[in-house]
Amino acid sequence: MISLFRLAAAGLIAFGTTCISMAAIAQQGPIKIGIPTSIQLQVGRDTQNAAKMAVEEINAQGGLLGRKLEIVVADETENPEQGIAAIKKLTADDKVDVLIGGYTSGVTLAQLPHISNAKTIYIGIGAASPSITAKVKADYDNYKYIFRVCPINAAHQARALVDFINGKLKGDLKFTKIAIVGENAKWVQDLVPILKKGAAEGGTDVRLAEFFDTSTSDFSPLFAKVKESGAQYLIVILSHASSDIFVKQWYDAQVPIPIGGIDVKSQDADFFSRVGGKAISETVALFAVRAPMTPKTIPFWDEFVKRFGTAPVYTGVGAYDAIHVYADAVRRANSLDNDAVIKALEKTDMVGIAGKIQFDEVHDVKTGPGLQNLIFVQWQANADRIVVWPKDSQTGKMISPPWLGN
Amino acid sequence: MQRVPWIDVLGGLIVLGVLALVPMFATSNYLTGVLTVCAIYGIWASSWDFMSGLTGRENFGHALFIGSGAYTAGFMATAWYLNPWYSLPAAVAVAVVFSLIVGFPTLRLRGPYFALAMLSASAIMQRLCLIYWEYTGGEEGLYGLDPIIRSPLHYYWFVLAILAVTVLILTLLAHAHWGLLLRAIRGDEATCQAAGINVTFYKIASLMISAAFTGLGGALYAHYQLQVSPPLFSVVVSITVIIMAYVGGVGSIYGAAIAAILLTLLTEMLRGFGEYRLWVYTLTLMLILFFLPGGLVAPAWRRLTARLR
Amino acid sequence: MLQILIYGAVSSAIYAMLAVGFTLIFGVARILNLAHGSFYALGAYSAFTMTSLLGLPLLVAAPLSVLVVALFGVVMERLLVRPLRQSQLAVLMITLAVSLAVEQALFLTFGSEYRNVPSFIAEKIAIGGVDISGQRLLALAVGVAVLLALWLVIQRTRLGAAILAVSQDPEAAQYMGIPTNRIFSIVMAISAGTAALAGILVSPFLTVQPGMGLLPMVKAFAIVIVGGLGSIPGSIIAALILGYSETAVAYLASTAWTELVSLVAVVATLMIRPSGIFGRRAAF
Repeated sequence: MISLFRLAAAGLIAFGTTCISMAAIAQQGPIKIGIPTSIQLQVGRDTQNAAKMAVEEINAQGGLLGRKLEIVVADETENPEQGIAAIKKLTADDKVDVLIGGYTSGVTLAQLPHISNAKTIYIGIGAASPSITAKVKADYDNYKYIFRVCPINAAHQARALVDFINGKLKGDLKFTKIAIVGENAKWVQDLVPILKKGAAEGGTDVRLAEFFDTSTSDFSPLFAKVKESGAQYLIVILSHASSDIFVKQWYDAQVPIPIGGIDVKSQDADFFSRVGGKAISETVALFAVRAPMTPKTIPFWDEFVKRFGTAPVYTGVGAYDAIHVYADAVRRANSLDNDAVIKALEKTDMVGIAGKIQFDEVHDVKTGPGLQNLIFVQWQANADRIVVWPKDSQTGKMISPPWLGN
Repeated sequence: MQRVPWIDVLGGLIVLGVLALVPMFATSNYLTGVLTVCAIYGIWASSWDFMSGLTGRENFGHALFIGSGAYTAGFMATAWYLNPWYSLPAAVAVAVVFSLIVGFPTLRLRGPYFALAMLSASAIMQRLCLIYWEYTGGEEGLYGLDPIIRSPLHYYWFVLAILAVTVLILTLLAHAHWGLLLRAIRGDEATCQAAGINVTFYKIASLMISAAFTGLGGALYAHYQLQVSPPLFSVVVSITVIIMAYVGGVGSIYGAAIAAILLTLLTEMLRGFGEYRLWVYTLTLMLILFFLPGGLVAPAWRRLTARLR
Repeated sequence: MLQILIYGAVSSAIYAMLAVGFTLIFGVARILNLAHGSFYALGAYSAFTMTSLLGLPLLVAAPLSVLVVALFGVVMERLLVRPLRQSQLAVLMITLAVSLAVEQALFLTFGSEYRNVPSFIAEKIAIGGVDISGQRLLALAVGVAVLLALWLVIQRTRLGAAILAVSQDPEAAQYMGIPTNRIFSIVMAISAGTAALAGILVSPFLTVQPGMGLLPMVKAFAIVIVGGLGSIPGSIIAALILGYSETAVAYLASTAWTELVSLVAVVATLMIRPSGIFGRRAAF
C-alpha cells in the first residue's frame, strides 16, 4: 500500500504543477483575433457570427497552442477613414494577434499601409480587388502579412462570369447580346474589362457597359438605356449599391430583360422577402449553398441557421474558413511568430466549406476544380434558390421574369 | 491693438503642454493617433471660426478647402511621387486659389445665400472627384501616401505645433485692427463701405487666410491617413467643423480649437457604447446646443477666469 | 423625349412638395429648418413600420404617418426651436442636431439596410411607349393635388390670409389679433406633413435608409434659394427647373452628372440673381 504520505506528496506536486502551468497559461492570456468589419450590414453580422462559431469550436477542443481564442470587433463601416481608425484601434489599442475581416475593397486598400506598419497578419474575407494582394509580390517584406481567403478575387470572378455567359446564356439560352452595368467601385472597375474581353472572345456582343454611382437611387434612366441597346440579358455587378431598389425598380417597370450576375446584397437569405418577392428570376453568384460541396458544408450551414436564424452570406463562410485556416497554420508553425505563421499559411492546403483552400504566390485564394468557385443560383417562386450553373451542380431549370412568359 | 488677456495665453500654454505630454504616458500609439486627428480638426475649426465667426457669414463649404489640401497632397504623392514635405506649401497654395475662385463670385452674398453657395462649391468638387474617377480614384480615392514623419509621436508634436501657431496667428489677427474690421463688417457692411473701408479686400483676405490654414490641415490629414477620398469634400465634414466652432463659442478661435479636440476625443471615448456611440454623441450635442446657445468652451472659460481679466 | 417629360414631372413634383414646406416655414417664421429632411425620412419609416410591423393597410398607414410626422414637427418647434427664436444661428444648429439625432435613432431602430415599403399601385402603365410604374404616376398626381390644395388654402381661406399676414410682419399680425404662435405651429405641421407625404410616396421606389433625408434636404435648400426664400411659386418653378434638368441630364448623358447640373444651376442663380427668382428678402 502506498503510504498516505507519498500519496499526499504526489497529489500536492500534481496540484502544484497544474496551478503553475495554469498560471503560466493565464499569464499568456488568450489569442486575440481582431475583426474589422461593417457591423451594421448583414455581411458584418454574419462575419462576427461565423467567427464566433469557429472560435467556440476551437476553444472547445482545447484552444490553440493551449490558449483560448478571443474575438475583438471594430466597425470599419464602408468608409476608408473609419476603416483606418478601426485598424489602429485593433492593432495599437487592443493589440490583436491577427486581423480577419474586411468587406469594401476601397477601405481595405486604405488600411494596408497601417496594417503593414503594425506588422500584423491580415486575412481578408470580403474584399475582392486584386490590388489588395498585388503588393505581396511587389514589396514582400512590408506586405507579406496580407492574405485573402474569400472571395476569389475580382479577376477570377470575372472569368467565372464569362464562363456563365458563354456556357449558360449563349450556350443554353442562345442570348448573343448582353449589357453590363456595375457600381462604380474599385473591384468592379477591375472586373468589367476582363468580363468584356471574355464575353467578346466567346462570341457575345456586349451592347452596353456602364458604371453608375454607388449611391444612385433612381435607375430608370439606366434601364431605359439598356432597353434601347437591344440587349437580351443584363449582367449586374453590385455590392454596396442599393440592390433592393434596383430590383424593385426593375420589377415595377417590368423591364423586358432578365438580370443576373454578382449581387452581394441579394445573397442575403431574406432578400427575396425584403423586396416583396420582386427579385424573382434574378440569378446571383454565390460561393456556397446548402449542398455537400465538401463534408463541412451541410453541418456548418445547418448549425449556422440553427444558431442565428438565417443562412450565411459569403463573408460568413469566409470568416469561418479563415479562422480555421489561421488556427491550422499556427498549429503547423507551433508558434505565433509572424514569419513562422506566414510561412505555414503559404503552405495551406485545407478543406474549407466550399472547397479546398490554397494560396497562390500573392497570398490570394486559388480557384479551380475542387478549390473555391462561384455557383450561379436563381431566385424562384417561394424564395427558392435553384442552382442553374455550372451544369453538374444544377438543381433546376432557369426561369424568365414572370412578365416575359417563357 | 487689443491686448490678448494674459490669462488666455497662460491657459493656452497649459493646454498645449498637457496635450504634448499626455501621449508619453500612454501604453500605445493609439492615443497619439487620436490626438493627432483632434489637433487637425482643431486647425480646421479655428480657421473656420476666424472667417465665419468674425464676419458672421457661415461658410457651409469649409470642406472645399479641406479636400483640396488633402487631394493636393494625394496627387503629389501618388501621381508625381514628390517628397511629402512639399505637399504642405502646395496644399496651402491650392486651397488659397480655391478660396479666390469661390470668394469673388460670392462676395456680395450673405446669410443662407452665402452658406448655400459655399456648400454647392464643395459639393461640386466632390461630384467632380467621382465623375473623373479614372484620375482621382473615384469613391475609394488615392491611397499609398507616405507619412511626413515616420514616428507617430513626433508627427503628433509637429501637428500640435502647427495648431498652436495657427491659433496664435489667428488670435493675434482677431485682436488686431483686422479683427475689429471683420466684426464691423458683420455689424453693418454698408456703413463700413461708406466709411471708406475696402470691405471687399477684407472679406476675400479673411477667406484666403481661413483657406490657407485649412488646406494645410488637409495635407497633414492626408499624410496621417495615408489616403484621401471624396467624403473629405462632403457637407458632413463642413457641418462637423461648424458644430465644433459653435460648441467652442463662435468668434473666440481658441474655443473652436478646444471644442474640436474635446468633441473628437468624445467620439473615440464613446466607442464603449458600441452601436449606440453616435446616438449618445448626437444627444450630447443636442443638449449642448440647446442649453448653451452661446457655446460651451469660451463662455465657460470666460466665466471661470472673470476675476483675472 | 417623352420619357424625360414624364419622369421629369415626377421628380419635379416630389421636389416641389419638399421645397414648398421648407420655404413656407421660412417665410412665416424665419426658420431655416435643417431638420426638414428628417420629416421626409420619418414619413417613409413611419409608413414602413405601420405596413410591415403593424400590418396596417397602406391607405390607412399613409395618412396616419403624415399626421404622426406633422405632430413631431409641431412638438420639435414648440420644445426646441421656440426658446431659441432670437438667434437664427441657434435655430439652425438645433434643427441640425435634431436631424442628426433622428438619423441615428432610425439607424439604431431599423438598421442601416434598405427597407421595403409596398407600393400603392403595383401595375406598370405605358404612356405613349414609355414604361412607368404606377407608383411614380401616383406620386406625381398626389404632388400636384397637394400643391393645388395648399395654394387654395393660402389664397382663399382665412387661415391662408393669416399665414400671409404673419409672413409679412409678425408683429403687426399680432396686433391685429392673429395668434402668431398658433400659426407657427400650423405652418410647421403643414411643412412637416408635406415632407412626410413626399417620403411616403417615393419610399416604394427609392431608398429607405436612415440617411435618406440628407440629400433631399440639400436639394430642398437649393430649390428654395433659387426660387426665392419665402416664395411658394418661386419654389415650384425652381423645382420644375431642377427636376427637369436633372432628368434630362440623366437620360441624355449619364446619371453621374445629374447632381452636378443641379449644383451648377444653384451657383449660377446665386451669382446672377442672388435673391432667387421671386425672392423678396435681400440676399445682400
